[in-house]
Amino acid sequence: MSGAGADDQRLRVLVVDDHPVWRDGVRADLDASGRARVVAEARDGGEAIELARETMPDVVLMDLNLPTTRGVDAIRRIVEESPHVKVLVLSASGEEADVLEAVKVGAGGYLLKSATAGELVDAVVRVRAGEPVFSANLAALVLGEFRRMSAAVPNAAEPGLTPRETEVLKLVAKGYTYREIAEKLVISVKTVQNHVQNILTKLQLSKRYELMRYAIQRGLDRA
Amino acid sequence: MASARAPAPDPGPAERASAVLALGILALRWVALTLMVLMAAITGDLRRPLLAGVAIAVTTAWTLWLTIARPRGTAPVLAADLAVAVGLLLLSGVVVPEGQVGSHPFFASVYPVAAAVFWGAAAGARAGLAAGALLGVSLVAAQLINGIDVLEATTPQLLSLASGALNFVLAGGAVGLVARLLERSAGELRAAAEEAMRAREQAARLSERESLARQIHDSVLQSLAMVHKRARELAGVEAVPAAEVARLAEMAAGQERALRSLILRRPDDAPGGTASLRANLEALARAELPIPLTVSATGPIWLPVRHAEELTAAVRQALDNVVEHASASKVAVFADEDDGAVVVAVRDDGAGFSYDEARLAAADKMGILKSIKGRVEQLDGSVRVETAPGAGTEIELRVPTRSEAG
Repeated sequence: MSGAGADDQRLRVLVVDDHPVWRDGVRADLDASGRARVVAEARDGGEAIELARETMPDVVLMDLNLPTTRGVDAIRRIVEESPHVKVLVLSASGEEADVLEAVKVGAGGYLLKSATAGELVDAVVRVRAGEPVFSANLAALVLGEFRRMSAAVPNAAEPGLTPRETEVLKLVAKGYTYREIAEKLVISVKTVQNHVQNILTKLQLSKRYELMRYAIQRGLDRA
Repeated sequence: MASARAPAPDPGPAERASAVLALGILALRWVALTLMVLMAAITGDLRRPLLAGVAIAVTTAWTLWLTIARPRGTAPVLAADLAVAVGLLLLSGVVVPEGQVGSHPFFASVYPVAAAVFWGAAAGARAGLAAGALLGVSLVAAQLINGIDVLEATTPQLLSLASGALNFVLAGGAVGLVARLLERSAGELRAAAEEAMRAREQAARLSERESLARQIHDSVLQSLAMVHKRARELAGVEAVPAAEVARLAEMAAGQERALRSLILRRPDDAPGGTASLRANLEALARAELPIPLTVSATGPIWLPVRHAEELTAAVRQALDNVVEHASASKVAVFADEDDGAVVVAVRDDGAGFSYDEARLAAADKMGILKSIKGRVEQLDGSVRVETAPGAGTEIELRVPTRSEAG
């Protein structure tokens, strides 16, 4: 490892995957980019939680299908313990329920494993910068989730989407990049990013409301 | 999902029994009415024949209406029927020769039973019992009016009175019980039939999914074997042909997409008679398209099968159009359901064009677009095109979701 000193500007990444070949591939891609490097590798969720605590990486690259501790549970713990550590989900199957759950508990983005090296590095940098990495599929999934929530609990005190946020989400789902959306809506790219960030925050908040409602419900049932 | 799209099940044995019960009550009314007329005509010793005639006319009219209109046992109908029955009983006290009510067959012995039975059949055992009790009380009142001092009555007279009153109560209660049993078993039968239908549909979907899985697994295995074999061979070659590597990558990519579509989510539980628009569109994405296609949707989006198929066909035409004319590098399909409409957008990043429907139509260049519009308008939907030279094209298909169900 060359130049891993204090002046190293490269992003520090923890790779969590149970396939060694895959971890090697990610390491090679990040090294080649010169913008990020792998500081630790974990094989399952438990190791990931420990290594995140020890190494305090900038970004955790997380597979969801892991032995023992589930990926989603690991993400929840990592984000709880170190809110400044960003998590990017890298999944082969992209099973919808899991991806949505991962984003709800705090993942900052989601990428399919078939993404190119360029896309991967780009996503790592964007997630680190606090910009949610939404694929068209994830955007549609999130929009559907908000629709279901407002249908299930109408007029709840929970934050729904503003018309503008819905519009932005639809455009992401149609495959527009943030830049294209900015041009289309005549707003800045930064504003588009803010909208997407707010959508993500509301989704994570809704998860907390959901847990609270559940707890209250159980309390009432017992009383 | 309470969509009542499934056809109404045929009347089962329980429904038929209910209908027979209703007919039986009507028959009872006519028999009782005939008996009443006969009593009035044969005995001939009625104290007030005119009043008896009016009572018979009213009862006949009421029975006729019940027979012709076959009204359901709503509260007003039930109340009117009970009023007629109570009226007949009380009237008997005045019409029948003194001391006859209750001890002998008399003018209105039978007809009121129909009211008790009707109440039971329409509103259950408790209502039947209540109506019967009221009729029993009316019978006692009729005896008083008829000049029988109930307190001074002999034991046989009392027993006869009690059994007369009890008859009403028993008839109402028993029929009520039977009617409720019939209703419940009808409900159970219907639920069982629906459950069976759901299970059948679920099984069909599962087996469809299974056969799809088998196909995909087979082709994935073949491709893996191919990649495995060629990669080993290529490892021994000095100058690896780039085109061949690209071909292997493309093959792996196609299989990856196909396999992922299987894993993506748990099988959806479709309401009967519907198809998932998302599943249909994803099937399109599995077909080989020369440019990358992403399909996303906010949910399964259940539509009547024909609507889902027409919309998918329209989207396929739009995609063909993109491939042929747009020189795009990627294309996305997005399906959404909101506000009583399903909206499908097909968006490419290609050349775009200047869209002027009137001019295109005049130049006879509507082509595929015309066909897409035709399909969508058949479903009462509309098509919107957003494009400009150099800005790509977005075609939006909007179809109202049928709300006739429910």
